[in-house]
Amino acid sequence: MFELDIRSRKPIYEQLTDKIKELIVHGILQPDEQLPSVRTLSSQLTVNPNTIQKAYRELEREGYIYSLQGKGSFVAPLGPEQKGGKRAEVRGELLRLMAEAVYLGFTESEIGALYRQALEQKRGEKA
Amino acid sequence: MIEIRGVSKSFQGEKAVDGISLTVKQGAIYGLLGSNGAGKTSLLKTLAGIYRPEEGTVTIGGQPVFEQPEVKNGIIFMPDIPYFFPQASLRTMADFYRSIYPKWSDRRFKELEAAFKLDTRRKLSRFSKGMQRQASFWLALSCMPEVLIMDEPIDGLDPVMRRQIKNLLFQEVADRGLTVMISSHNLREIEDLCDHIGIMHHGRMLVERELDELKADTHKVQVALRDERHATALTAKLQVLHQETRGSVRLYIVKGDRARIEQAFRVYDPYVLDLLPLTLEEIFIYEMGDAGYDAQPILL
Repeated sequence: MFELDIRSRKPIYEQLTDKIKELIVHGILQPDEQLPSVRTLSSQLTVNPNTIQKAYRELEREGYIYSLQGKGSFVAPLGPEQKGGKRAEVRGELLRLMAEAVYLGFTESEIGALYRQALEQKRGEKA
Repeated sequence: MIEIRGVSKSFQGEKAVDGISLTVKQGAIYGLLGSNGAGKTSLLKTLAGIYRPEEGTVTIGGQPVFEQPEVKNGIIFMPDIPYFFPQASLRTMADFYRSIYPKWSDRRFKELEAAFKLDTRRKLSRFSKGMQRQASFWLALSCMPEVLIMDEPIDGLDPVMRRQIKNLLFQEVADRGLTVMISSHNLREIEDLCDHIGIMHHGRMLVERELDELKADTHKVQVALRDERHATALTAKLQVLHQETRGSVRLYIVKGDRARIEQAFRVYDPYVLDLLPLTLEEIFIYEMGDAGYDAQPILL
């Protein structure tokens, strides 16, 4: 389903939660879709099952997934809270990139053009 | 669940293990790290019921271990150097373990043949170091233990086998709630394998935490400040374990919450600010340095 970077300094449990959130936010994992079981994911990724369990618990706490007793974990429909969290994250990223862009002499209209380009692409995907 | 309470063990008046307490929950994978001669092996052997603790208690599932065959039926201890009987093959060793461990599973032994692909009729003494290690894992897992204690088990295994064995251990943990205790100096492997770690030095426990918590709690900060004076203000405010200056870039190892640390640095609007999680190796080195054990810059 996805790959982890075991060389990265980022704790594996954080990589897991980030990756799954990304898949949910981008709609690659659809609402009510079942996530792989702890055991399956553990053997696919060669990751400690306790770490996966912990990541799932954290995702559930944050409202990204829900679990059904004896059935497994499922993707929760995206609420305003999850979108809000992601928005704050993206805003921070954008601000950092904008600072770099300003330094490199990008103009406002160039940045506007990039926004429109992304919008076009998104529309293209949907069509 | 493993409970070690105030355990001490000495050899010829020298304390190898000095009042150690720790708890390992069922289904956890616990990594025991430490300097050379810290007492890791002595602690593991006490836990396995090979040594009698001089002080304190060792219990597994609430039962004492030493000289308790009932409890020891569920424990496997894998020593740092695999031992097999002279002239023995995997098949004859399997016969021996079957006669000792009541939970031995022939089915499991057969299943694992697919994972290890070793010739069960060949003499074990003719196997390479890594193959002997694989043979110990094969035998250990076939005993269906509840607690698996391993002293330096990763030595000599090739990367494919490491992955294979890791996967097998993870499956046992997920399926049967196997509890694993492992000592190693290979911190990269421990980092991928364990969920809890303990760091020992001179028979005592320096740190004992959940690995993710430990990593989330210590940060490496690389910063280029606008003003020298900001540095003093910052170090006064934060819990700094270690600092270095390389030209205009300062390196700090800081304990505490990531957001709070970042905020503290941001206030001074530094030219460059990078916050990185520490690797287990870095945590080990800084914690050891704190305990007065570090590499000396000696040129010979």
